[in-house]
Amino acid sequence: MRILVVVQRYGAEVVGGSESHARVVAQRLAMVNEVEVATTNALDYWSWAPHFPEGESMDGPVRVRRFPVTGTRSPTFKDAERHVLFEPHTLADEQAWLAMQGPHTPGLLEFLRDEGKGYDAILFYTYIYEPTAAGLPLVPERAALISTAHDEEPLRLVPYRALFQLPRAFGFLTPEERDLVHARFHNSHIPSEILGIGLEPPPWHDPEPFREHYAPRGPLVLYLGQVSEGKAVDELLADWNRYRAAGGTGSLVLAGTARMQIPKQDDIVPLGRVSDEEKYALLEAADALVLPSHLESLGIVLLEAWQVGTPCLVSAKNKVTSGQVMRAAGGASYGPGGFAAALAAVLADRDRLGASGRAYAERECTWPAFDARLEQLVDLVAN
Amino acid sequence: MNRSSLLVVVQRYGDVSGGAEAHARSVVQRLASHFAIEVATTNSTDYLTWRGDLTAGLDRVDGVTVRRFPVERPRAWNFKLYERRAFRSRHTLDDERAFIDAQGPYAPELLDFLFKRGRDYDHVLFFTYIYYPTVLGLPLVPERAVLVPTAHEESAIGLAAYKPVFHAPRAIAYNTEEERRMVWRRFRNERVSNEIVGVGIDVPAERNATRFREKHGITGPYVLYVGRIGVSKGSRELFANYERWRASDPAHDVSLVLIGDAEMTVPRTGGIVHLGRLGEQDKWDALAGCAAFVMPSLLESLSLVTLEAWAAGRPVIVDARSPVLAGMARRAGAGLAYRGPAEFAEICELLIDDAALGDRLGRSGAEFVARTYTWPRVVETYVDLFAEIRMRLAA
Repeated sequence: MRILVVVQRYGAEVVGGSESHARVVAQRLAMVNEVEVATTNALDYWSWAPHFPEGESMDGPVRVRRFPVTGTRSPTFKDAERHVLFEPHTLADEQAWLAMQGPHTPGLLEFLRDEGKGYDAILFYTYIYEPTAAGLPLVPERAALISTAHDEEPLRLVPYRALFQLPRAFGFLTPEERDLVHARFHNSHIPSEILGIGLEPPPWHDPEPFREHYAPRGPLVLYLGQVSEGKAVDELLADWNRYRAAGGTGSLVLAGTARMQIPKQDDIVPLGRVSDEEKYALLEAADALVLPSHLESLGIVLLEAWQVGTPCLVSAKNKVTSGQVMRAAGGASYGPGGFAAALAAVLADRDRLGASGRAYAERECTWPAFDARLEQLVDLVAN
Repeated sequence: MNRSSLLVVVQRYGDVSGGAEAHARSVVQRLASHFAIEVATTNSTDYLTWRGDLTAGLDRVDGVTVRRFPVERPRAWNFKLYERRAFRSRHTLDDERAFIDAQGPYAPELLDFLFKRGRDYDHVLFFTYIYYPTVLGLPLVPERAVLVPTAHEESAIGLAAYKPVFHAPRAIAYNTEEERRMVWRRFRNERVSNEIVGVGIDVPAERNATRFREKHGITGPYVLYVGRIGVSKGSRELFANYERWRASDPAHDVSLVLIGDAEMTVPRTGGIVHLGRLGEQDKWDALAGCAAFVMPSLLESLSLVTLEAWAAGRPVIVDARSPVLAGMARRAGAGLAYRGPAEFAEICELLIDDAALGDRLGRSGAEFVARTYTWPRVVETYVDLFAEIRMRLAA
C-alpha cells in the first residue's frame, strides 16, 4: 500500500504532540507499506520560518517531501484571531484567518491535487492548519483526518464546517475526542478508529535511589511535564499546600522545564528536565503521578506511569484524562477541593490501581495493538 | 403542525429560461405544502451576463419568499480566458478559484447569508453544482445540505474545486442513474447518501394531434424537437443529419418540426418548420402527433422534454454519444440511438415505416416515466432525505 502522511511540521527535533504522533504513525506504517510524508520546511509554529532544506529526504524508511512556506505568520495574526473568535465579523474575515495562521504552502497543495491519486490512503494531521484545511478537500476520496481536536474556539470557524464532513474516515486519539467531534459536526456516520498511541517498553531504569531518598518523608507525588500555568501547575501547587496544611505528608516532585515561579519549600522539589531513564525511575518510584492539566488531547504520561504500575490522579475538568483513568481503572480524578481526598484514596489502594493501569497499558499501548488500530484506519480509507 | 424549514439555493429564480432553474421552481412548488420554504438566489435572470436586472431584496414567486442577493459584478468579459487557464492540464488552484469567481454569479452577500443564517434552516437544497452560490455556499452548511447536481460531462467538473461539493453534502439527489454513475466514477463519493429523484412529469388529460396540425398547417408525418435551438444543444448536427437524410431519400416526405427559441439561424431547407416558442397545450398536442421525438443534445443531465415525449407515448431518437440520453433510452426500452448520419436516417425511416414499432417504444416510455418520474414519488423521496438529515442533526 502507498500511504502519504500530511502534517504541518515533521522531524525528530519538532516539538508538538500531533507532530510526534504523525511521525510515530509514519514510521510504524513504513514497516509494511511504502510511506511518504508531505510537510513544510518549518520547525516552529509561531513563525513558520524555514529551517529544514526543501525537497526530498529520508527519515529512516520514510520519504519526506518538504514544501516551502511562503511568507511567515503575520504579526497581526493574534489581532485577526481575536476578531474572528470574539467580535462580530464577516465570512471573509474567517476565511482570511486560516491563511494568516499558516503555514501557507501552495506547493504542498498543488502536490496533493496533482499526485494525490497515486496514494491509496492519505492521512492528514491536525484539523486546524492550512495543509489539512485546504489540502484534504483536494483528495477527500482517499483521506483520513486525524483531527487532534479539543473543545477550543477555532473549531467553530468556517473553514472546518465542511472539513469534518469530507474524510473517508477519522482517526481519533481518544473516545472523548470522537464524542466532541460527533456532537459538534453531526458526522457520526463517517467511520472512525480510536488510535491512542503505542509506546516503547520502558528502558532500563532504577527506582531505588529515588525511593530511598523520598520514602522517609512520606508519599512521593510526581508531576512530569512542562511546569507552567498553561498546564495548571499553579492549581496543583495550591492543592498541594492545602493538602499539607491539613496534615498531609510527603514530597511533590516536579520534573520538567520550568516556565513559572516555583515556591521554595522543602516539600516541593523542582528537578528540571530529566533523562528517559530518570523519568521511568521517577515514575516507578512515585506513589502517584498527578496531571492537573485541563487541556490534554491524550495523556501520554499517564500511559507511561501505568507501564511501570503507578496510579494516576487527574483533574476532573479534563474529560480526556479522566476518561483514560476511568477506562484503565488506574487512579482517580478530583474536582475543586477534592485533591487531598482523591490522593488519599489512590495511596490507600496503590497496588491494585497500579496493576490495573499496567494491564491497561499492556492491552492498549503495545506496538502490535497500536499497529492493528492503524491498519484498521488505513483499511477504512483505501479500497 | 410545526413544519420543518427548507432553504433552496439556486443561481436564478422565477420566470427564467434554463433547465435547472425550471427544475428548482417546480420542486419548490411541490414541496411548498410540506415545508416552510424560502429561496435564496440572485437578482439576475441572465446567465450569460448575470446583469442584475431584478431588484435585490425580498420577493415572492408562486407565494414563496425569495431572497434576491445582488450580483456584485457581471460575468467577466474575458471569462473565456479564465476558462482556458483553469482547464489547462497544468493550472494552479488560484486559477480554479479565479474561474469560479469569473463564471459567477458573484454574489458574496448570498454567501454571508448562508454563513450567518444558513443554520437557522433545517435543510438547505442546492441546485446545480457548477455555480458560485453552490460551490462556495454548500461548504458553509454541509451538515444540512442536499445537492441536486444536474451534472454532465464537461471540462469544469474535472476541477479539484468541485470535489467538496460532491463529498460534503449530507445527501445528493441525482436526476438519472447515468448521472450518478458518472459522478461516482469521477468523485468516488459513493458513501454520500443519495437517491435518483429528478422531477415529476404532469401529463395533460387531453392531447390532440389534429388540433396541432390544423393550427400550424402541418400535414404528413413529422419528427419533433422541443427546446432551445443552438449549437450547444446539437441543433447544427440535427439539421445536417436531416438534410442528408432527405437528400438521399426523397421518397420519405417527413418534416422536422422545431418548437423553441432559436439562438442560431434555422436553415431554410424544405421540410424544416420552426414554430418558435409555444404554450404547454400546443407542446403536448405536438408531442402526441409526432412520429418520433428527436433529442440531439449531448450534454444533458436530465432532458425534461424527452421524459414528456415518453409520457405522451412517443419514441425518442437520441445521439448514442450522450451517455444519459442513450442510457435512459436503453433502460426505458423507448428509443433508438444513432451513431452518425447514416444511422440517423435509418432510424427515422424505420420509425416512419413501422408505426407499430414507434407505438410500442412509446408505450414502454410512458411506463418508464410513470414508474420513476412522478411528483408523488419525487416529493416522497425529498421528504425522506430531509427526514434523514433532521435525524442526524438531532442525534
